[in-house]
Parts: sequence; C-alpha cells; structure tokens
Amino acid sequence: MNTVDSTPGSAPARSSSHEIRWLKQRGRVGRHAIGIAILVPLLSACLTVAQAYWLATILHRAIVDQVATKTQIPALLGLAGLVAVRAALAWIGESAGIRAAEDIKLAIRRDLFAALMRRGPDWMRQRASGELASQILDQVEALDGYFARFVPAMIAAGVVPIAFAVGLMPVDLVVGIVLLVTAPLIPVFMALAGWGAEAASRQHLTALSRLSGMFADRLRGLLVLKLFGRAEDEVVRVRNASDEFAQRTLAVLRIAFLSSAVLEFFAALGVAGVALYVGLTYLDMLNLRGSSELGLQAGLFCLLMAPEVYMPLRTLAAHYHDRANAKAAVASIEAAFGGLPAVEPAEAPRGAGWTANGAVAVSARHLTIDTPERDTILSDATLEIAAAETVALLGPSGIGKSTLIEVLARLRGHQGEIRIGGTGLAAIEEEALRRHVAVLGQRPRLFHGTIASNIRLGRPAATDAEVRRAAERACVLDFADRLPEGLATPIGERGRGLSGGEGQRVALARIFLRDPALVLLDEPTAHLDTETEARVIRSILAFAEGRTLLIATHSMAVAAQMDTIYEIDDRKRIARRAPGFGLSSAAIPIDGAA
Amino acid sequence: MRLLCSLFAARAGGLSLALALACMTLAAGVALFGVSGWFLTGAALAASAMTFDLFAPSAMVRGFSFLRIASRYGERLSGHATTFKILSDIRVRIFSRLIPLVPFKAAAHRTGDFVARLTADVETLDMVFLQMVAPIATAILGAVGLGIFLVLVMPDALPVVLIGFGLTALALPALIVVAGRHSGAETVRTAADLRIAVLDGIDGHADLVALGAVGEARQTVDAAAAEVRRARLRQAWRIACGPGFVVLGSGATLIGTLWVGLQVLAEGRVSGPVMVGVLLAVTAIFEVAGPILRGAGRLGAASAAARRVQSLVDMQPAIRDTARPVAMPASGTISFENVGYSYGRDHVVLSGLDLDIRDGEHIAIIGESGTGKSTLLGLLLRLYEVDAGAIRIGGVDIRDVRQADLHAHIALLTQEAPVFIGTIRDNLQIADPAADDEALYAVLAKARLDGFVRGLPQGLGTWLGESGETLSAGQARRLCLARTLLSPAKVLLLDEPTAGLDRPTEAAFLADLLAVTTGRTLVLATHAALPDGAVDQVYRLEAGALSPVG
Repeated sequence: MNTVDSTPGSAPARSSSHEIRWLKQRGRVGRHAIGIAILVPLLSACLTVAQAYWLATILHRAIVDQVATKTQIPALLGLAGLVAVRAALAWIGESAGIRAAEDIKLAIRRDLFAALMRRGPDWMRQRASGELASQILDQVEALDGYFARFVPAMIAAGVVPIAFAVGLMPVDLVVGIVLLVTAPLIPVFMALAGWGAEAASRQHLTALSRLSGMFADRLRGLLVLKLFGRAEDEVVRVRNASDEFAQRTLAVLRIAFLSSAVLEFFAALGVAGVALYVGLTYLDMLNLRGSSELGLQAGLFCLLMAPEVYMPLRTLAAHYHDRANAKAAVASIEAAFGGLPAVEPAEAPRGAGWTANGAVAVSARHLTIDTPERDTILSDATLEIAAAETVALLGPSGIGKSTLIEVLARLRGHQGEIRIGGTGLAAIEEEALRRHVAVLGQRPRLFHGTIASNIRLGRPAATDAEVRRAAERACVLDFADRLPEGLATPIGERGRGLSGGEGQRVALARIFLRDPALVLLDEPTAHLDTETEARVIRSILAFAEGRTLLIATHSMAVAAQMDTIYEIDDRKRIARRAPGFGLSSAAIPIDGAA
Repeated sequence: MRLLCSLFAARAGGLSLALALACMTLAAGVALFGVSGWFLTGAALAASAMTFDLFAPSAMVRGFSFLRIASRYGERLSGHATTFKILSDIRVRIFSRLIPLVPFKAAAHRTGDFVARLTADVETLDMVFLQMVAPIATAILGAVGLGIFLVLVMPDALPVVLIGFGLTALALPALIVVAGRHSGAETVRTAADLRIAVLDGIDGHADLVALGAVGEARQTVDAAAAEVRRARLRQAWRIACGPGFVVLGSGATLIGTLWVGLQVLAEGRVSGPVMVGVLLAVTAIFEVAGPILRGAGRLGAASAAARRVQSLVDMQPAIRDTARPVAMPASGTISFENVGYSYGRDHVVLSGLDLDIRDGEHIAIIGESGTGKSTLLGLLLRLYEVDAGAIRIGGVDIRDVRQADLHAHIALLTQEAPVFIGTIRDNLQIADPAADDEALYAVLAKARLDGFVRGLPQGLGTWLGESGETLSAGQARRLCLARTLLSPAKVLLLDEPTAGLDRPTEAAFLADLLAVTTGRTLVLATHAALPDGAVDQVYRLEAGALSPVG
C-alpha cells in the first residue's frame, strides 16, 4: 500500500494516461514520504470509528441509562486521548505529503533543466525563454497538489468508505448496505465531471504560461512603449490578458465545483436516508431488523458515521483538480520540451577524444546552411583556413556571417563536411570542442552577477589578477574603472547598466581567459568608436598569436589587418578577396566553381 | 495590506455576496446536524409514531441539505469570480504604476524579478480573500449566530463553545501567521531567485554552450531549486499544524460541550434530544476552521507577496510632471544650457554642456562609447533629470511641460530597443497605430528593410518570436529604426542607429538620412564614420562637454 502505483479498484481509476504514468515514475523519488502520507489517513480513519462509537456510548448511557455524570469521566478522558492522537496523525500526514511533493518537484526541476541544457542551440533559438522558464517553475509547481494531497486522498477514498460501510454492517445491516451502494456511485459521477475539469485546466495553464511570456516581453520594452505614448494601451492589453486568464481559470473551477456539488448531493442522500431509516425504525414504522432492537447508541453511531463514510470522497473531490492540473501541467511540459524527459537521464553521447596543440586548420566542403527562420544562407560552399591564419569575413548585414560562425562553433546544424584540425566537426567530443574553440556572438548574454563574475565564466578557476588582466586587454577597464565598484559592479539581467559595446567587451574578456586553438568572433567591435576599436583589435591580434582567428566584421579597418578576407557572395558561396581591395572590387571565388 | 483594502473596497458588492452565501452554507450545515441529532434522539425516546411529529424534522433535514449544496456552489463561484477581478485590478495597477517609473537605474530591477512579481505574487494573493478574509468573517458571524442559539437553548455551554471555537478558528491561525511570516517571505524570494537562474540559463544557453559552462549553470539552478525546497519545508511544519489544530480544537470543544451537557442533562435543565442536537451543531461549526487554518500556514507567503506588490505600487517616480504644465511649443530651438549630470556621487558624466539645435537641423554627436551620448539623449527626453543647468525647447524649460507631450514631440531609438512578440505590423504600429500598410512599407523602405519583408510569405503579418530572434541583429535594428521613423514626432534622436549594419548599408543609410528626415530635427549619436554632408554639424563629446568638429 505504500507506493503510488497501487490503485484501488473503486477510486477514480480510469485507465492511466501516459502523463499519469510519468508522474508515478517520478513519484518514486518521494515514495517513503508518500507512503507515510497514505498510511496516516487510514490509521486516522480507524480512530474515527472508535471516537464515534465512544461518543454514542457516552450519550446512550447518559440519556437512556441515565448514569451519574462522574462515572463517565474515564470514558471522556479516553475520548480526549483519541482526539490527541488523531491531531498528531493529521500533522504527520500533512508534513509527509508536503515533503514528498517537495522532493519530487526538486528532482523534476533538476531533470528538466538538465534536459533543456542538453538541447541544441538550434532548438532553443525557436522557443520563448519565458515560456520555457514557466514550465520549470509554474508547471512543476502545479504538480504539488498531486503528490501532497491527491495521491493520499485517492488511496483513502478507495479504502475507507468501503471499510466503514462493511464495518457498520454488524451494527445495522441495512445502514451498511445503503452506504455501500451509494458510495461507489460517487466516483463515477466525479470521473465524468473530472474529464471536463481536465480539459479546462489545460487551457488555464496555457493561458498562465502565455501571460507570463507576454508580461516579460512587454516589461522588457516598457520604456519604448512609454516613449511612444503606447504604454496606456498596453495596460488595456494587460487587463484583457488577465481577464482572459481569469475566465479560463473560472471555467476550470466551475466544473471542479460542480463535481463536488454532485458528490455532496449523493452524500446528502445517503445521510438523509440513514437518518430517516433509523428514525422510522425507532418509531416502529419500519422493521427490517427482525427481533433485535435498535438502541440509541447504535442509531447515533450510524448517524455519526454516515458523514464520515463520505468524508474521504469529499476530500478526494476537493483535490481532484490537483490531478487534472498535474496532468495538464505534464502535457504542457511535454509540448514545450517536445517529449517528456526520461526518468534516468541518458548520458550525453561522447565523441572522439580530440586535442589540439596550438592553432588548428578549418576546412569546409559542400557546406550548405538552411535556417528555419530565413532561407538558404550557404549552398555548396567551400572554406579553407590554414592553422594560425587570421581571417576576416565580410558581407552585407543579414547575409549570414553570424550564422556561419554559429555553424563553425557547432551551435547550429548544417549539411556538408566541416573539419577542424582534421577531425570532422560532428565527431568532436563536446567538452574538447568547447575547450579549443572560443566563440563570441553578436549579442552575448551577460548573466546576473558582477562584471568580474561574468568574465570569470571563461575560466572559473581564474584568479582575480587574471580576470583583471583579461578585462584590461578587452578594454573593459576603460569603463569599469570609472564605476565606483569597478569590476565588482553588479550587472542585471541582459546586462542592464552596460551599453552594447561594453557588454561585448566583457564577453571578449571571457575569451581572453581561455586558451583556444580556434577563435571565432562575430563583430567584436560593432559598437565601438574608432580609437577603442583599434585597441581592441590590437589585443585580439596579440591574443590570436599562435591561434586560428576568424572575425566577422563590417569594418574595413579591421579586415585590412587580417591575413585573408573572405565574403559571402550573392551566389551563397564563400569567396576570397585579396587584401587591400576596396569594397567595390570583384570578388575572387575560390570554391572552384568559377 | 493597504493595497488589498482599496481593491476589496472597489469590489465590495461581489465580496459581500460571496460572504453572505458562505454564511448561509455554514448556517445550513450547522442546522442540518443539529436537527438530525435532535430528531434521532427524540425518535428513539418517543413511545410511538403517534406522539412524534416525523414530517417537519425530516423535511428540515432534506431542506437544509439541499440549501447547503446550492449555497456552497454559489459561494465558491462568486468568491472566485470576484477574486479574479481583483487580481486583474492588481495587475493593471502594477503595470500602470511601472510606466512613470521606467527607466530604472538600479540593476536590482531585473526583468525576471518583475515577471515573478506580476504573476507569482499576484497568484499568491488570490488566497487572501478566499482562504482568510471570507472564512474569518464567516466564522465570526457563525459564532455570533450559534451563541444566540445557545443562549436560548443551553446557555451553560456558551463559554466552552465560544472559547474553544475562538481559539481554534482565530487565535491559533494568528499564531501560525506570526510564526510563518519570515519563512513565507523566504519562499517568495527563493522562487524569484530560481526564476532568474533558469532564465539566465535559457536566454544565455548558446553562450553557455560555447563557453562549455553548461555545468556551472546547472549547478546554479540545482542550488536555487534546492533553496526553494528548503524554504518550503521550513514552512511545511507550520502548514501541517493547521489540520492538526482543527482536529484538536474541534475535539476538545466537543468534549467540553459534552461535559457541560451531561451535567445540565443530569440536573434536568435540558432534554436529551436538545443536548444531542447542540452537540452535533457545535461539531458542525468547526467546518469553517479548516480553511482558516490551512490558509494561515500560507499567509506568510501571501503577506510577503502583498508587501512586495505594495512597495512596487508605492515607489515614487523620480520625475514628475509639474503642477501647472505649459503647452509644448510646436517648434523651436532646443538648447542645453550649462547642463550637468552625474551618475552617483563621483561619476560625473556631463558638466557645463551647452548645445543649440535649430528647428530642422541635423546634428551628430560622436565620442567614445561610455562618454555619455546616450545620457545626453535621455536628458532631452527627461528620462533623467539634469543636476545643473536647464534644457529648453522654444524657450520653454522641458520640466514645465507634460512628459507625455515631450515624448510625443521627440522620438528616440534606444540602443537596446526591443522587438516585441507579435507581428511586424504590430511592432511598427506602436509608433503610429493608424498607419496603413502602404505607410509601413514606405517607412520600411527608408530603413532598407522593405525588400526583406516583402519577401516573407506573410509579409507584415509575419510573427516575430521572443527577442525577435528570427531576425538577424541588423534586421532587428532596422525594424526598430523603421518604427522610430514612423513616429510623427518632430524631433528624432537616434542612438547608434547603424550598429549591426554592414558598412555599405550603413553608408547608404547615413547618406539617405537627410532625405528621410527632411523637415525634422535630427540628433544622431554614433561612432560611425559619417559621409560628408550627411548632417549639418558634428560635435564630439569628450570629458562631459561638446566641441564642434570640422
């Protein structure tokens, strides 16, 4: 009985969907705590019977037998003891449920984030970050009630009403049968109502996730909206989104409440039936018991127990939407992640061991790059970069320089063959690739922390002096030293507080902390004035000594300092341009197709 | 809680309906149990059916049962519906409050943190009325009703019942709330930290992969998630006290009432059926204590959320409209007069800066990045307040006009201008909601993006994802530029408009500038090499002051 997999027959045990199966698998993490949470209500139910029986006995003796009040004291003390034990059990059960849920949520969050991090950047690029974050935070939170409350309530609802009804049979067979017959009907009605609740719940969670994404987006751009005088209109949009969210949630609740109303209706029928039967028997208007007399004690016991029979079902109904919410949350996670992460995370595939000593050559043949967002970037292109060569990549904005750099850094998929240091790109082990290939994107992310902690991301073991040296070479100190806290200045999400050019220099400093064989830089000087640009390029060239360097740039001043200049031409090939040529001069194709 | 009070007042009608229905539900439940106990005991004692009125009590039992079912359904539905309206009110109020507060100077105001406030905090607040205010009000009203009933039938039980019920439903929950205040705040804070860690990991995924630092990000998230669990578990034992106290309180009160009842029964001052009826009625009123105690454990988190929301709403905008704004001059020279501005105490950005920009003049401000070009533009829009000197337009100090008028007069392209989730059309129409497709394509042509957009299968209706990730950096930049150009403002401020553009496009764009901004005043902050004649005058910003170039 102490695993979540045991599903009693009379609980709303519809054929478990794969979402519930997944939940049950994840539930193993917290099975001990769940076991306690399940066991406690069952124990408590036994004590409830004893308490009702004891109370009925006391009342019978006082009203019918009219015994002296003093002789009842031991019985009253016993009753008090029962109450104390039940209170302690209630505390233990609730704590265990919460603990189980927290353990399971922690494990799921870790696994989901790990699964996310294993995804390729291609996949990540097409998702809204707010929505993915909402899966790990809000949707996983929605699983809380399933483990903490629904699972224990489901087991109790499957066992306790039947046990109570059967237990009442020796006291009065008719009462026992009435309760036994009405109780199992309830889950049927609840299941009917539950299906509706589930569909509505799914919509509710989608709305929550969208709302969260929209808030993030609009808040990020609030200044722009304000300056265009459009912020007030966005208030209306926020209200509409909230209203829609409220409407959807209410739709879920309307059905959830309906299911509990149905339950209460049946419980009321059962209790009223018992009361009427017992009353009529007392008044001799009905006799189904043959010769045995029904005493006040037995009658009161039946009356006290009748609502208790339905209590576990009522508790289950109150938590039924927890199951629907959990199921919908799992479905939402599945949709956002494109499948549910396996319980045992698969080991990342390990490629060929690969080490590079000094600079590496880069070659690409029959390279074709199609992006989902835009058309074909390169078609059957060729690229040859010798070891320790410095190369500039020129081309009009939007032609695909950034995309090519992402492909070479294996941050994006491609067709054709790319070899780095003679090894096929796809075969290189991830860890080795990242150690030997450094890449600076056009919009580098700055993480919440300080300028120094962002630089140190390049090499976590770096000393303060090394970080400072890297910052100096990337001209970060130019602005950092003007700040009161210097490199220890906190920077917020998306590098608020730093300008675009400053952020890029911080990201460049990260690379200076590393020891790569191949350096790929995407417009490292895009936001810089001429003087700073010259200094940054000097640092880059000094760093590139003994390494292979590829820089995508718009700046002829930068390109002119490289050994070789390539550009992406309008035939979607990579063409070599002789140094010193102006922008208007014809490109010299090197892909052999000319 | 001031915020909640004013919001509750605004929805008083819906809330009183929910409260009335809740009281009716409780009263029906209490009456149902009381009548049942009285009826059964009476029937057991009655000699025969002749001397006992069967039909009135059995009709009452049925009536109260169904009344309870109906009123509970109505109570839940109306309570939730009103709560949602209040939640919507809170969101709108927060969002409206944020408008005058941007731009924030402190990095502590992170986007992730805001999202946490607007969704999680507001969600947390939904329990305040449903789980605390309504049950407590119902409990008090119910206790008053039961008290009156007890005075009439069995006054001896009144002290026991009122003390027992008061302790269980009011005093103990208050104790749990006080004890849980700290850990509740901690739960909300750790959840916000986790959200930031996760967002950092997702938004920075490509950088993390490239740096081989995915492991570090996983460790950060693992630690943040473990912190959330720890905070929740610290709160758990208090939450778990709720159900325990309900059992304890109702049980103790039942036994106390029973003890009193047995004595008055022995003295013959009350009949057996009435005594049993009272006993069951007392048990039934504890139904309302469950929700209160359950809610109490979580009220710590709710009040932490309420405080954070309140602090957001209470924040004073650094810049306010003057009490008697004057009309914005339709045109006129923009003059910076001896303007000074510092960032913090010792980081002087601008000092003694003078600049005159005539109507329709095109100027460029060049200078090393970080010298204050963006700040200068921000000052003109009054995003920041000058520390010294003044900025005038047509002789009128910008502090004397309404900010909205100033913003309508001057359009700014910021360096970090975002592409919004929505269509290309949505993104452009932010600048001018009335613009038709023809106007949109015309402005896209000025930003040299029309060819690209026309080439898209859905054209202007193309959906752009978060951060406009489906556009290249240069395309996103040009879209934002097109948006700024679409604005009907008389003055355009462009902060690095050509960042992310290649040199030929940049050169062509700068050469075009004169044509696309004819008749408008233009201030260009850039480090790009400007073609001759692109602007009327170039200034260099150095050491906090401007000097003309050439």
